[in-house]
Amino acid sequence: MTDIGNGLLQLVPRAEARQSMKDFKSDQEVRWCPGCGDYAILAAVQGFMPELGLARENIVFVSGIGCSSRFPYYMNTYGMHSIHGRAPAIATGLATSRRDLSVWVVTGDGDALSIGGNHLIHALRRNVNLKILLFNNRIYGLTKGQYSPTSEVGKVTKSTPMGSLDAPFNPVSLAIGAEASFVARTIDSDRKHLTEVLRAAAEHPGTALVEIYQNCNIFNDGAFDALKDRQQAEETVIRLEHGQPIRFGAGLGKAVVRDPATGDLAVVTDTDENESRVLVHDAHAASPATAFALSRLADPDTLHRTPIGVFRSVERPVYDTLMADQLDVAHELLGKGDLGALLAGNDTWTVAG
Amino acid sequence: MAYVIAQPCVDIKDKACLEECPVDCIYEGPRKLYIQPDECVDCGACEPVCPVEAVFYEDDLPQELSAFRTADREVFDGLGLPGGARGHAPLAADHAVVDAVPAPSTT
Ligand SMILES: Cc1ncc(C[n+]2csc(CCOP(=O)(O)OP(=O)(O)O)c2C)c(N)n1
Ligand code: SF4
Ligand code: SF4
Ligand code: SF4
Ligand SMILES: [Mg+2]
Repeated sequence: MTDIGNGLLQLVPRAEARQSMKDFKSDQEVRWCPGCGDYAILAAVQGFMPELGLARENIVFVSGIGCSSRFPYYMNTYGMHSIHGRAPAIATGLATSRRDLSVWVVTGDGDALSIGGNHLIHALRRNVNLKILLFNNRIYGLTKGQYSPTSEVGKVTKSTPMGSLDAPFNPVSLAIGAEASFVARTIDSDRKHLTEVLRAAAEHPGTALVEIYQNCNIFNDGAFDALKDRQQAEETVIRLEHGQPIRFGAGLGKAVVRDPATGDLAVVTDTDENESRVLVHDAHAASPATAFALSRLADPDTLHRTPIGVFRSVERPVYDTLMADQLDVAHELLGKGDLGALLAGNDTWTVAG
Repeated sequence: MAYVIAQPCVDIKDKACLEECPVDCIYEGPRKLYIQPDECVDCGACEPVCPVEAVFYEDDLPQELSAFRTADREVFDGLGLPGGARGHAPLAADHAVVDAVPAPSTT
């Protein structure tokens, strides 16, 4: 029977002894710029891993190219610093052929959405059992500060001296559009929230896309300050929790409702009259429509009304499982194959010299 | 692992480090600032900005200042992980190691 449920983590061997954060630190010197948000994400991931209790030999971090993609060096697990934009493709091969591995992808906004955009959307639609951590600093960090596919319109950089012309991608919208089964957003400096999101992603059977807002303090400093400053954050951050009415603002005085005329979402002042209209967040809704609408609430320039948390978490058949089932059926019908014989074939040519 | 604020900060406290910390884990005490070692993510941003070179990576702390590693850890006993200095009142008291540092002479 096809297992679309929670059994997938159980295929990964457990650690023999209790682990601590230290077990997940490698002996490599961490070489990001001092103050980079990547340090905070690394610490959160290393701090969270012991909770999973998986054998380190069965955990793999696959990255592409970029500052963020140096991540695998610093994890005391298996890892691969792979090809620009291709981490989802490599990880797909690994996850489908080795279901006893917990496979994580670390990618940047440039890596995932410029050169790797195609690989990303196909991994998402296939629902491969991957956990994709997309470090979004809205800039190319490694190559010293060119605008990226998530930079705001008009971004002035060395490559766009008069301001960028491109409309940015919203990675959460993109992932929901590709019908990703799990989509979440969190922030580098909010250790507690980041850890909660990692936990939910790790438990999800299928592709989990986690967008992590990450400060590049050298080339795009303060990009997410509107969400980090305690006072501003009350007005800018919408914390999504499954089953809870969506309220935010000082004293939770604002609420998200559905506009009856357009069907779209709107923000209103929370009053007794509209109390019953306040949208209750349903991350498990089969249709991605409301999750998509939530992802459009944020203003890409000011970041006002930015939802964080799990937008969507639904179960649907996992590619790895479907493929394993197909192989089982093929074995049953045709017996175990012989790859060597297949490659040699029985219809060969000899090239005469 | 964590960064540690040692003796040179005592009674200086210009707070340059505090501005730099991306996770807001540097807390103010009456005479010194303290790094919450379990919240510090080892990013190193605080170290180069300190005008009196008070900040050290834990492993690089000179032998004679090693008590400050204990001070930065123990001062948070009972406070746990406060989750950011900005929403937190300054620490009410210094660690004994800091109390033992003589006050600057006024002459
Ligand atoms: C095939 C190829 N094209 C372009 C580059 C140059 N390059 C290196 S990293 C990068 C983008 C990095 O941006 P991002 O993925 O956002 O990572 P960050 O450094 O910001 O973490 C580019 C364009 C490359 N290394 N290889
Ligand atoms: S360039 Fe930016 S993203 Fe890259 S290590 Fe430095 S601060 Fe981090
Ligand atoms: S920068 Fe140095 S002297 Fe100033 S508060 Fe920080 S540790 Fe103390
Ligand atoms: S090393 Fe980084 S995280 Fe730790 S106290 Fe210094 S600035 Fe903060
Ligand atoms: Mg980037």
